[in-house]
Amino acid sequence: MSEQALVQIKNLSKTIGSKRIIKNLDLDLYKGQITGFLGPNGAGKTTTIRMMVGLMKPSEGDVLIDGKSVKHSFEESIEKVGVIVENPEMYKYMSGYKNLLHFSRMHKGISKKRIDEVVHQVGMKNRINEKVGSYSLGMRQRLGLAQALLHDPKFLILDEPTNGLDPAGIREFRLYLQKIARENGVAVFVSSHLLSEIELLCDRIAVIQNGELIDIKNVKELQQSRFLFKVEPLAEAEEILSGIGFPVSRFEDGLLVETEAQHIPGAVKILVNANISIFAVQPFKATLEDQFLEMTGGGDIAQAHTK
Amino acid sequence: MLKLIQNEWMKLWSRKSSWIMVILLAVILFGTAGITKWVNTAMPIENPESWQEVETNELAYNMSMLENTELSDAQREYYEGEVAISEHRLENDLPPYEYDSMQQGVIESHIMMSIVTLFTVIIAGGIVASEFSQGTIKMLLTRPVKRWKILTSKYITTMLYAILLAIVLFIVTALAGLIFFGIGDGTFLTWNGSEVVEGSFWLEGLKMLALSFASVWIIGTFAFMLGTVFRSSSLAIGLSIFLMFTGIQAVFLLADYEIVKYYLFTHTDLTQYYTGFIPVEDITMTMSVIVLIVYFIIFMAISYLTFGKRDVTA
Repeated sequence: MSEQALVQIKNLSKTIGSKRIIKNLDLDLYKGQITGFLGPNGAGKTTTIRMMVGLMKPSEGDVLIDGKSVKHSFEESIEKVGVIVENPEMYKYMSGYKNLLHFSRMHKGISKKRIDEVVHQVGMKNRINEKVGSYSLGMRQRLGLAQALLHDPKFLILDEPTNGLDPAGIREFRLYLQKIARENGVAVFVSSHLLSEIELLCDRIAVIQNGELIDIKNVKELQQSRFLFKVEPLAEAEEILSGIGFPVSRFEDGLLVETEAQHIPGAVKILVNANISIFAVQPFKATLEDQFLEMTGGGDIAQAHTK
Repeated sequence: MLKLIQNEWMKLWSRKSSWIMVILLAVILFGTAGITKWVNTAMPIENPESWQEVETNELAYNMSMLENTELSDAQREYYEGEVAISEHRLENDLPPYEYDSMQQGVIESHIMMSIVTLFTVIIAGGIVASEFSQGTIKMLLTRPVKRWKILTSKYITTMLYAILLAIVLFIVTALAGLIFFGIGDGTFLTWNGSEVVEGSFWLEGLKMLALSFASVWIIGTFAFMLGTVFRSSSLAIGLSIFLMFTGIQAVFLLADYEIVKYYLFTHTDLTQYYTGFIPVEDITMTMSVIVLIVYFIIFMAISYLTFGKRDVTA
């Protein structure tokens, strides 16, 4: 990408004791783009995110946010970041509003009007003056999002943000994130275990395993067009299709063909003419889950192989 | 920084326990005053001594103390002052405040300061530790505010609470005295080093209160450090209170060794230079203040270093 990255993770490493938890991580994040952060349990997602927001000190490397180093100019860099690290823990003995007031005082120039605006955005207007202790998990997530958005950040880091939201809430949340990414050019970095959710939400996916970045992919690449042919006899059909230039592979009891939808009627016609019985032709979508498992080799918890 | 303190202050008063401690302090003060009043009325002392008799006995005792050649300078000065005051009273017929008067209560209000210390320790030990136990620390530290500023705002808030408790102590003592005992007769006399002069009981009460605040300050700082280092409010509070009670006893055990002069609890009670009860020889007010400041710097340095460097995994 020619555009200057908003967030640059440079050679980030963390060693605890003699164990290297994160190994020379390099990753750029861009304006208006939602990047998903995936990895099996214990791969180092949370550690990476904690280093990005200054909760943990990197052993090596640095994170630059809009050109400012988190290590050396913490206040200037973190000013532009909105954060939800795991469950957003709030002060339970205070109202939602007081919690927001509390966090707003830690940023420069957030007016009461801005607080009201954010409360409205996350749909908490009716319950904002109640104590956080009485909130459900979903409401706490909304309040968590509100505190992350208060200062209009250029960069949002979310660790497991949809945890505890109901389906309608998740959808609303997704649309909202996509909206602020598109309209306000906010860079978003989301870690989640809900692969289907990441697939719908993100433009790009970074996969981490054993502290190493193993793959970065655009979601569009992942969703290449494939069709599943259920035909008989199988061998003959395979020969015909590959004969006319389609990439074909066997999948379960059918054939998997990589092609665009416009070529399907032609292919069907040829098969019919060759007296092949066609039972079904359907678009085939490998889920992100399949690909994720493929990439991480089964999703064992990291370090399990050292047993 | 002001906004950070405002935040801490808001969080402090959003918790019921902070209110309860203030109310409890007032209740305890009213209670003790009430019980004293009740005991005095139920069991009046038969044939009470006149103030002249009491003063003559004290004079004789203080004179005898002065004959001791091993007195330290601080102790000698104290007894000389007491003798001068007693003589002045007897010569000029100036009685001291009655022991059950509002004024005497105000002068002695600092004796209840240990309750203020106790409550301050509870706040000091919890103000950092609770952020960790609630998990809110990660919300607090991912703001564009450096860690040392957050820690400073918490420390200042703790001390403001302690000062508030001391003020409540002073005012409630005066109020309870007024209600239960009323304004008594007498004068307050003080020795300024060369002559006996009349003084204000309000100022004397405030002076003693300020001196005894040194122990609230240093023990509060100690609890603050423990809470920051161990992230456990119960450990910080428990250990601080334990040391507060046993630490002073240890002064007597250590009294024969040189090390006692550098031991914290030898110096926590600054009122000792005005009440004459100085368990360790050869210490002075200046030395005590210096020792306290050195301990303060050590406690703060440990707090700032651990809080600033810690990886937050809560």
